[in-house]
Amino acid sequence: MKLLKINSTLPLFLALFISGAAASQDAIVKKPVLSLSYFSSDNKVQYLLAEAKWKIEKKYQPATGVTVSIYLDSVAPAFSLSEKNVTDETGKIKAIIPPSLKSKWDASAQHKFIAIASGIKEFEDLESEIEIAKAKLEFDTSTNGETKTVSAIITALQNGKWVPVKEIEMKIAVKRLGGDLKIGDEDTYTTDSTGTVTAEFKQNSLPGDANGNITLVAKVEENDLYGNLYIEKVVPWGVVFKSDDNFFNQRSLWSIRSRTPLWLLFMAYSIVLGVWGTIIYLIYLMFKVKRLGKVN
Amino acid sequence: MENSTQLTVEQITQDLLPRKFGRRGKIWIGSLILICMIGAFAYYRQLKNGLSVTHMRDYVSWGIYISNFVFFVAISLVGSLITAIFRLAKVPWRTPLTRISEIIAVSAITFASIIIIVDMGRPERLLNLFTHGRIQSPIMWDVIVIGTYFCMSLFLLYITLLPDINIMIKEQEKLGKPFTKLYRWLGSFWQGTPAQEKIRDRSITILCILIIPVAFCIHTVTSWLFATTYRPGWDSTNFGAYFVSGAFLVGAGGVVVAMYVFRRSYNLEKYITDKHFERMGRIVVLLALLYFYFNINEYLVPAFKMKKPEETHLRQLFAGEFAIVFWFSILVGMIIPITILLFKKGRKPLPMFIAGVMVVVGAWFKRYLIVTPTLLHPFLPMHDVPENYKHYFPSWEEWAIAMGSLAGALLIITFFVRIFPVVSIYKTITDNNETVENK
Repeated sequence: MKLLKINSTLPLFLALFISGAAASQDAIVKKPVLSLSYFSSDNKVQYLLAEAKWKIEKKYQPATGVTVSIYLDSVAPAFSLSEKNVTDETGKIKAIIPPSLKSKWDASAQHKFIAIASGIKEFEDLESEIEIAKAKLEFDTSTNGETKTVSAIITALQNGKWVPVKEIEMKIAVKRLGGDLKIGDEDTYTTDSTGTVTAEFKQNSLPGDANGNITLVAKVEENDLYGNLYIEKVVPWGVVFKSDDNFFNQRSLWSIRSRTPLWLLFMAYSIVLGVWGTIIYLIYLMFKVKRLGKVN
Repeated sequence: MENSTQLTVEQITQDLLPRKFGRRGKIWIGSLILICMIGAFAYYRQLKNGLSVTHMRDYVSWGIYISNFVFFVAISLVGSLITAIFRLAKVPWRTPLTRISEIIAVSAITFASIIIIVDMGRPERLLNLFTHGRIQSPIMWDVIVIGTYFCMSLFLLYITLLPDINIMIKEQEKLGKPFTKLYRWLGSFWQGTPAQEKIRDRSITILCILIIPVAFCIHTVTSWLFATTYRPGWDSTNFGAYFVSGAFLVGAGGVVVAMYVFRRSYNLEKYITDKHFERMGRIVVLLALLYFYFNINEYLVPAFKMKKPEETHLRQLFAGEFAIVFWFSILVGMIIPITILLFKKGRKPLPMFIAGVMVVVGAWFKRYLIVTPTLLHPFLPMHDVPENYKHYFPSWEEWAIAMGSLAGALLIITFFVRIFPVVSIYKTITDNNETVENK
């Protein structure tokens, strides 16, 4: 009877366990996300960045291997920037506006970009669209005694003319190896009615290159209308960097063989010559023994 | 040679001339050749497939090969101990031991050189060491000093053999033809004239003086390969002395084992006497105590401080993954032999042989412990390493090559004693004559 009870309750436990496990599997929801961003670098190179991501429990993870096609204004093979490219391990695809679309790009001040995903079931036919207006950034710098000033102006194309744009948030910084360093006290600046921001350069002791050059950058980031704009300018405002070649040229234990410390060379060769000199002398003695044997 | 005072020159010559192998000798050689061939096949696989056939990975890049290399370098030091130090100290009973120690030194240093090439994934790149080598690197010092020590050991062996070669040429009727040409090529010029004797004697003295610092250098430099690397277990100023003392111990242990085997195999009881064992026993005890002292320094002092980066390493040795091997090497390699050899009865041939084997086996595992556990515990561990990086146990190819190299070293010794006398005939006769004259 007891055995029967166990036998009848076991399938129940199993069913509960399996359904519980399945439910916990279902609880993890992976939502596919496709986004598209526009970039203009130095007013010369315009490109699009498509990014495929998984949204898992409020966190994003890159979706690799997603096929994405990007089009200009309308979905047609003739207007394609990127035809069926696959996202890399960061989940991204970069597409430059090709020369074949130059006339279409020049024809209007505003454009639409469309990205369509495929290749992975959850991403199939997922679309992302952005509309951007053409804009450009320009840099100006001036020096008045000890005071150095940086100005940046943003203009947008309207009716065939470049018109200043006000109320645009912008970053002005110095480009460094690990990231951007703000030039003054403010993190960002907002353009005035002339589309200009002006900032005082306060990083006076910043190391530059061998000529004292540093690179200033102005950035508009993730603007709803103009996208991401970026411009840079090299100015001789840094401290001249003199590389300490002497450190690498000195004779040391860690240097290359031609820069072995002299004391080590002297010691090593003295020992080697001393020992091998004696061995050669002994070999000479052996030949002498051999000669003596032949004479006798 | 206390019992040989009654012996005639003919009898000594007859007893000590090399002999053909018997049935047991042939089985011994066959077994060694088989082990060598398995090792050669494993090395062929390593050459064909690369070092991936080994279990060495990014953490343990020096595995059983380098342990074996250190072991060979250590045991090779015995040549300088017995021949040079005993000669310069005018130890009167050294004669039956010198040839044995010299051939152990030559065979060990030969395979130390070979095994270091085996450890290289691309052996042809050895040449780069000579064309692009930096004298700042301890690896370069090791190459120089091993090459020098090999040449000196071979030279010392050759010079001391010359009078015996002359005797063997004279005794060619008894020896048969197989090696006559070799003997003639090596030493037909030796006639034993006073002028030749004088030069030979002088050469041996110079070599004995020179080989001691070179022998110290060879193992000190080998220890510096480790000590100049900043790692737990290796970061020690004690390493040179620790290695040299350990090398003398394993070398002396190896000589004791060889003394017993040759005495039994060639019936050399009149030449390698109980008194030789008694005296070597005392030396082994002294060396074992010295090495034990350095071990206490090497482990107890860091364990007392238990610095954080060293803690994992030391715990693994004392009570972790390597505890069995660690305590085995301490007990079997030092404490038990010391206990046996402290008593007079323990210094008889058979207990001495057992103690000698223990010392040599313990020393082999000790080298494994010096090399491997340290590599598993770097100061800056890598992130997200595969699980098999964190442990090391040699693959069958590594075992086969290591055992093949040990068999190869024994094979050199075996072939040597087939061709040349294992105890110097000339020196035994001279010693015998001097003893008779003194009486």
